[in-house]
Amino acid sequence: MNKPEATGIFFYNPAGLLPDPVNYDELLLYSLGFPEVVKTWTYHEFIWNEKSIFKKINENKLERIIIAGLLPGTVKALFSKTMALAGKDPEKVYLASFNDYFTGSSIDADRYKAVLACIIKGVPYEFAGIPDDLPVNPATLVIGAGIAGIQAALEIAYSNNLVYLVEKSGTIGGKMATFDKTFPTLDCAACILTPKMVEVNQHPHIRLMSYSEVREISGLPGNYTVKVLKKARKVNIQTCIGCGTCAEKCPAQAPSEFDAGTTLRKAIYIPFPQAVPNKYLVDAESCIYLKNGKCKACMKACPVPDCINLDEQDSEVSIEVGNIVVATGFKPFDASRMSQFGYGRFPNVLTSLEFERLLNASGPTGGNIHLRSQDKKGNRIFNQASEKPEKIAIIHCVGSRDKNYNKYCSRVCCMYSLKFSHLIVEKLPDAEIFEYFIDMRSFGKGYEEFYERIKEEDVAIIRGKTAKVEEAGNKLFIRGEDILKGEILENVVDMVVLSVGLEAGEDARSISRLLKIPINEDGWFEEAHYNLDPTGTCRGGIFLAGTCQGPKDIPDSVAQGSAAAARVIQSILKGRVRNDVASVSLLQVEEKIKELSSVPI
Amino acid sequence: MSVRVQPELRNQLIQFGIGDWNACYHCGTCTAMCPLSEEGFLFPRKKIRLMQMGLKDELEASVEPWLCYYCGDCSTSCPRDANPGELMMSLRRYLTSIYDWTGLSKKFYTSEIWELGFILVFAALVVLSFLVILPSFGINFTRDLTPEGGVKINSFAPIHIVETFDWIMAAIVASLLISNILRMYYKIIWKYGNTKVSLWVHIREFWLLIFNFVVQPKFNKCTDKRYWLSHWFLMSGYTIMFIVIVVYLPWFQTEKILPAWNPQRSLGYYATFGLLFGLFVAIIGRFQKKDIKFQFSHISDWLFLAMLTLTATTGILIHIFRINGMAVATYVSYIAHMAVLVPMILIEVPFSKWSHLAYRPFAVYFQQLKKYAVPR
Repeated sequence: MNKPEATGIFFYNPAGLLPDPVNYDELLLYSLGFPEVVKTWTYHEFIWNEKSIFKKINENKLERIIIAGLLPGTVKALFSKTMALAGKDPEKVYLASFNDYFTGSSIDADRYKAVLACIIKGVPYEFAGIPDDLPVNPATLVIGAGIAGIQAALEIAYSNNLVYLVEKSGTIGGKMATFDKTFPTLDCAACILTPKMVEVNQHPHIRLMSYSEVREISGLPGNYTVKVLKKARKVNIQTCIGCGTCAEKCPAQAPSEFDAGTTLRKAIYIPFPQAVPNKYLVDAESCIYLKNGKCKACMKACPVPDCINLDEQDSEVSIEVGNIVVATGFKPFDASRMSQFGYGRFPNVLTSLEFERLLNASGPTGGNIHLRSQDKKGNRIFNQASEKPEKIAIIHCVGSRDKNYNKYCSRVCCMYSLKFSHLIVEKLPDAEIFEYFIDMRSFGKGYEEFYERIKEEDVAIIRGKTAKVEEAGNKLFIRGEDILKGEILENVVDMVVLSVGLEAGEDARSISRLLKIPINEDGWFEEAHYNLDPTGTCRGGIFLAGTCQGPKDIPDSVAQGSAAAARVIQSILKGRVRNDVASVSLLQVEEKIKELSSVPI
Repeated sequence: MSVRVQPELRNQLIQFGIGDWNACYHCGTCTAMCPLSEEGFLFPRKKIRLMQMGLKDELEASVEPWLCYYCGDCSTSCPRDANPGELMMSLRRYLTSIYDWTGLSKKFYTSEIWELGFILVFAALVVLSFLVILPSFGINFTRDLTPEGGVKINSFAPIHIVETFDWIMAAIVASLLISNILRMYYKIIWKYGNTKVSLWVHIREFWLLIFNFVVQPKFNKCTDKRYWLSHWFLMSGYTIMFIVIVVYLPWFQTEKILPAWNPQRSLGYYATFGLLFGLFVAIIGRFQKKDIKFQFSHISDWLFLAMLTLTATTGILIHIFRINGMAVATYVSYIAHMAVLVPMILIEVPFSKWSHLAYRPFAVYFQQLKKYAVPR
């Protein structure tokens, strides 16, 4: 064993860079307990420049420097250079990064101490801080049946292991099922997704629990007991033949969730014709019988005896699983929050999800683009009788990259907006299209080529976001600055499509409490390591897939679904699953360090 | 001509106001939001661009900062919190210091010691001249009253002396201001670009200058129209007072106390009301900090408001004491009034915030000239 080198520890946590959950006094005392550690400095105790560090190195005869804190790598170069200037080994600058291994999730001083101890003793945390393994139950729970959840469920099921797939709404498929085309390949979304949905339904190893929610989770990693609330569907899923007679007779109507509110559906309905399971369900909110106690038109019309039971109550089932894949997805940004764009006030200001349905052949207008009009009851609806728009503006970054709403980039909006342009050109060759963007983020494989292709399609792609949308007679007036030309662009259009960003789902917070996995300030679930473990979490046997972890496009969601499945299958094959990060105590880490550092190198 | 990029410009500009201007990612929301931004004169984004690139010459040749009346829409809608409205405000301060050839303006804007020191020195000089110099001219502090019971103000501050002093001060201030305006003209019209403007256009569009000085129609184009009226009252009150005191002092400062309905007094009352109303709105606004335009007060904003308030209140006190025959109180408040008024006019009119009374209408005039500029 080499003799201990004089070590100085610099705590790096510039205010405002990250919230500071660390109690530094405690850490200082702890690190000074090591014989190697000569001195420690907190962030504000000295000036972060070469001169000051040089002085510190010389005064204290430091041979080794540890930078500890949140994102310490950002200042490593400064220290390496100064070490070299002081005639020391520039390689002997080590990072104790508190972001790694548990991403600031647990405000747990012991965890920080453990990381620090590992670095001081030169033992990788990956060796000393490994949690124990626990036996694993081969059954898996997948929460959310969008494309990521479906992918994960199928991958696990094909390894001949049991999967419980819990879905909140009446059908699986998630947001992708509502899309018309996918970018950049322009595949029909439904055509590539519905076969997978059917596969899920028919797979012998998948127990599909649609219209259900996870209520309670208890137990240790590898052996979770999950209580699932089965919301009353009020239609017997076994006997319903999906004939639709009930919906024909049903007098109550409500906006269709699947069609993003662009059409009306009955109180007894299937979300969309290819829904899985393709069985009807009753919406308790709009059902007249459930409100007034009178009606039962559906029960009278149903050809199958006792299939519809409007008095059915919610029930709870308990399942035992070893691993959990969280794939709860996102919710689109609520465009009415940005009142300057007039969403909700002007009928022809649409969100991208509405426009997606408008473009879709199974949407409100059979895939033809028509303006929104009012019916006799005053409902704003699309119908084939109203006019077709001649000028359409697409506004990017609605609710994204904006400090007043969400400061992050939602990643997909640029690309789906370009896709919209292409589809409009296809469907209305004479229409004028204006894309108002800030920066075009065509970051993926084939995306830039797609952008180049759209540029050649007679679409006005304007750099400069518009500020507001105003009414001008029947039309919409928008004012924006064309930054590249340096002029004000005043434009009167028939329809405005707002490219809304992605936000964390409304139940992300409750799921985070349920599973005890942290979410970040934007509501996205925190992964175990940003670069190296984007599917894992700080808890054992719980994995992330899809947009619940951060904005993502379809290929990335699918990839992450598969990745999460691989982790699950790995633990099933091994028969053991790793315990929570927080289950390792500081004492255990210290003992492990002693054991490992006594091994001669 | 090559363009020199000066990245240190931002560090200079940050002394004139607060803003995270480098955060701007050029989405154009501010320009699109601004009702005053028009073709050929786009702001604030373009100005932020110039600032970020440090194109000093371009910035100094721009009229746009003076066309902005700071409604704050750009700052509230800015997705990056880059505070473009405050940049325009800071640019106005910066340009004021650039137009000024003496270099004093920059000192006043960037150093509180200079500004406060200047004010105190001149206040002291005024008090000194009343107490030491004027008595040597035979001025005495008689406490005689007029037959009506008012204070004999003219025996304390004789019209001919005060008026002479008035004219000297007006000449200094006017020559400074006019030379600054000429420099502004040189930078914006003469030097900039390869264009010229015919003399006829200069004459034809001159009415805009007067019109904009009196009415400030651009201010009323802002989305937030509340401040146009209070600003107009402040402006008209101040202008009336200024003209009356400098040009018509013998008519204004009479020994005899005239009835309240006489134009001499009613004009004074109107001007006082206008001043107080405008000041009240501005001071309350700057304390409440509800509107963006009032959130980032520079020391020069506060000093200006403070001095104007002091001038107005001491002026009111002179009037009250005089009518009620309180001689000593009248004299004291007269000296105090002058001790605030003189440094205020000297510092504010040519060097600081008050100079916008000239720069703004001239900017509108120059903007119009630029529209008719033809290639040289």
